[in-house]
Amino acid sequence: MNTVMVKPERCIGCRHCEVACAIEHSKSKTLLGAISEDPISKPRIHVEVGPGLLTFPNRCRHCDPAPCLQVCPTGALKRDAETDSVIVDYNKCIACGACAMVCPFGIIQFEKTYQVAMDRNVNTKCDHCIDRQREGRIPACVEACKTGALEFGDINDLIRTSRRDFTVRVLRSSGEETEVPEVPENIKAYRDIMKTIAENGIFQD
Amino acid sequence: MYVDPKYLEEEAEKRSLDKTDQEIVQKAMQDGIETAWDRLEKQQPQCGFGQLGLCCNRCVMGPCRIDPFGGEPKRGVCGATSDLITARNLLDDLSAGAAAHSDHGREVIEVLLETAEGKSQGYQILDVEKLKFVAGEYGIETEGKSKEEIAKGLALAMLEEFGTIKNKIQLAERAPDKTKQMWEKLGIVPRSVDREIVEALHRIHMGVGADYANTLLHALRTSLSDGWGGSMMATDGSDILFGTPTPNTALINLGVLKKDEVNIVLHGHNPILSEMIVIAVDDPDMKKLAKEKGAKGINLVGMCCTGNELLMRHGIPIAGNMLDQELAIATGSVEVMVVDYQCIFPSITSTASCYHTKVVSTSEKSKVPGATHLEFHPENALSTAKEIVKLAIDNFPNRDMNRVKIPGKPMNLMAGFSEEAIRGALGGTYKPLIDAIVAGKIRGAVGVVGCNNPKIKHDYGHVTLGKELIKRDILVVETGCAAIASGKAGLLLPEAASLAGEGLRSVCEALKIPPVLHMGSCVDCSRILVLAANIAKELKVGIEDLPLGGAAPEWYSQKAVSIGTYFVASGVFTVLGIPPKILGSPNVVNLLTEGLNGLVNAAFAVEPDPVKAADILESVIEKKRKGLGI
Repeated sequence: MNTVMVKPERCIGCRHCEVACAIEHSKSKTLLGAISEDPISKPRIHVEVGPGLLTFPNRCRHCDPAPCLQVCPTGALKRDAETDSVIVDYNKCIACGACAMVCPFGIIQFEKTYQVAMDRNVNTKCDHCIDRQREGRIPACVEACKTGALEFGDINDLIRTSRRDFTVRVLRSSGEETEVPEVPENIKAYRDIMKTIAENGIFQD
Repeated sequence: MYVDPKYLEEEAEKRSLDKTDQEIVQKAMQDGIETAWDRLEKQQPQCGFGQLGLCCNRCVMGPCRIDPFGGEPKRGVCGATSDLITARNLLDDLSAGAAAHSDHGREVIEVLLETAEGKSQGYQILDVEKLKFVAGEYGIETEGKSKEEIAKGLALAMLEEFGTIKNKIQLAERAPDKTKQMWEKLGIVPRSVDREIVEALHRIHMGVGADYANTLLHALRTSLSDGWGGSMMATDGSDILFGTPTPNTALINLGVLKKDEVNIVLHGHNPILSEMIVIAVDDPDMKKLAKEKGAKGINLVGMCCTGNELLMRHGIPIAGNMLDQELAIATGSVEVMVVDYQCIFPSITSTASCYHTKVVSTSEKSKVPGATHLEFHPENALSTAKEIVKLAIDNFPNRDMNRVKIPGKPMNLMAGFSEEAIRGALGGTYKPLIDAIVAGKIRGAVGVVGCNNPKIKHDYGHVTLGKELIKRDILVVETGCAAIASGKAGLLLPEAASLAGEGLRSVCEALKIPPVLHMGSCVDCSRILVLAANIAKELKVGIEDLPLGGAAPEWYSQKAVSIGTYFVASGVFTVLGIPPKILGSPNVVNLLTEGLNGLVNAAFAVEPDPVKAADILESVIEKKRKGLGI
């Protein structure tokens, strides 16, 4: 199964993924078109801020079995056989919010979309860019990510990389603190400074 | 709007250090007023490429960004690396800051010229002694000449230096010989005020040099053209026109606003505007009109650096620093906020629209949608000033007394410590101060300067650092928003000497001065340079040899980049509370925090924790003492 893996330690909060997502799900699929459309296209991936001003890009995990799909009373949520993605038939959605109640990641959102003619909000969660996937392209958020915080591929392949990293960490860790994958010194310094700033102002926990 | 009082209290404590500020932070939240703190939260997360300096938005082959983790992309479309992109961005920021200071300076000197020619309205040449001194530096004959003749000669000589072809700025000659030789060796002697800024803009264009170190070297030179050029002209020109500050006492914090008087807040930077309003409010007709409208009088208060200018010269009360601009309006008591330029929130008129407050913009360069624009020109400055005061008086009956809250009570302070005043207090020579430093009673001095930034609790960085330094017998000199923060916290009082270490306390008590000296507005950081230069000259060393430090604990602006850099380029080690946008390039970081030591015997450090910043500054001062053999 192909999925998007998140490496939070690589996220620097630029929100390129959000912009790319909104463009991809707009009618025009161009930046200049997207910003002037009505209804305006909203991102389906969310870069959230956590403690110490660290960031995490949160999006639909396309669970299987998917709690949202199981509780949807109208059958608006379906699984795309080809990509294993959980997708929404917008016109069947009644915006009851049952899916949002059971979503373990809190990523369901109700917004307007050009694909629904009536003036109402529907579940516009991440659709895994299935249109792009069918064309052999990777999801827009992953393509936009320039720091490697979002990676697309077979879940086991991606996990294998993490497993290898973990192995290195375990074997190197006899009394030594090594971060794998390695974070450059200047980025560590930057994060330490941001953490101190967060502790001394409005971002205190 | 009902908001849980406990939440309001906690949030206010997170946002601001000062109790009177906290009261109005709470009121603003209750009134539903959006402030900079709210906007900062709405901006989260802020882009990491931008914060690291790795975003290049210069040309339209881009915008480009570099992967900070070492992956692709490693170069912009043009081929620029993280080093070059970061260095160009920094030079760009610095140039905007130097331009802001120097353009302010130019306007002051233009008013000096028009006053000398009898073309301005309301202005006078008040400090003839300083006029003659500075004219002497420029080689202008003063004997047997009227002050207007001398002023005209000086103003023209200074204005010529903005684009001079003689390749030097006269005021930079004030630096000690050793420091000047250091600049010559590095090739960073400033050649004219405008030229360095223009050349900086040339250098940041695509394809003009790919060597980040060479780019940053020009940043040093550009900053020197500000500190020893434009800013110093602003200070000296203002002193000549409006008087060189001498120690005085005044009141500070939002409590200086008055319940029963017409409140006018002067916000911005240039004294050429605010000085005229000072004259206008004294007009008996205006006072009468205020009474007719039901007010007991006209209360003129300052804010930010134009407030510092008035405080230094006239002891006019000051309502606060940069993050107080919205809070002042949120007291509901401000009839008019007069603004010129720099550090005026573009949203200030939308804040004002929640109350009866009118914002009056006065500079052709700085218009704000929603403001009443009454443009200031030297030829009719006083008439415009009166028009503004009348607008405020007429607005008094529109004030909703039910929405007014004036917090706490004002704090006392002592200000007015120009370089001349400090030297005067010491008996005309720095010998007593030097003796105290040599004896170790005073370990050294630190210039704490710079802005507010909602990323750091309002005033916390300034006040905590100031207290830490004086405790360690380090004299603190301040300008700008830093000085206002210390004023609110009571550090600008002679009694604050009790918070100082034993040595510094004894010196302050003997001289009846505070341990933290208010030296003026942000362009008056030039006073700190002159102070340092004069001490160095008495000792026959360079500024870079002195036990001095600089700090900008809450800086936000491009102007602060320029100030910090001219401090360092003049040999003063400087600690920044917020990282500049350079951390994406380890090479640039290394050059600015280490490499510069070998070039100008000073460098930058970044430390948001003010106690740790004091540790760094103390160790630098002790190192420099050792170098001097004391």
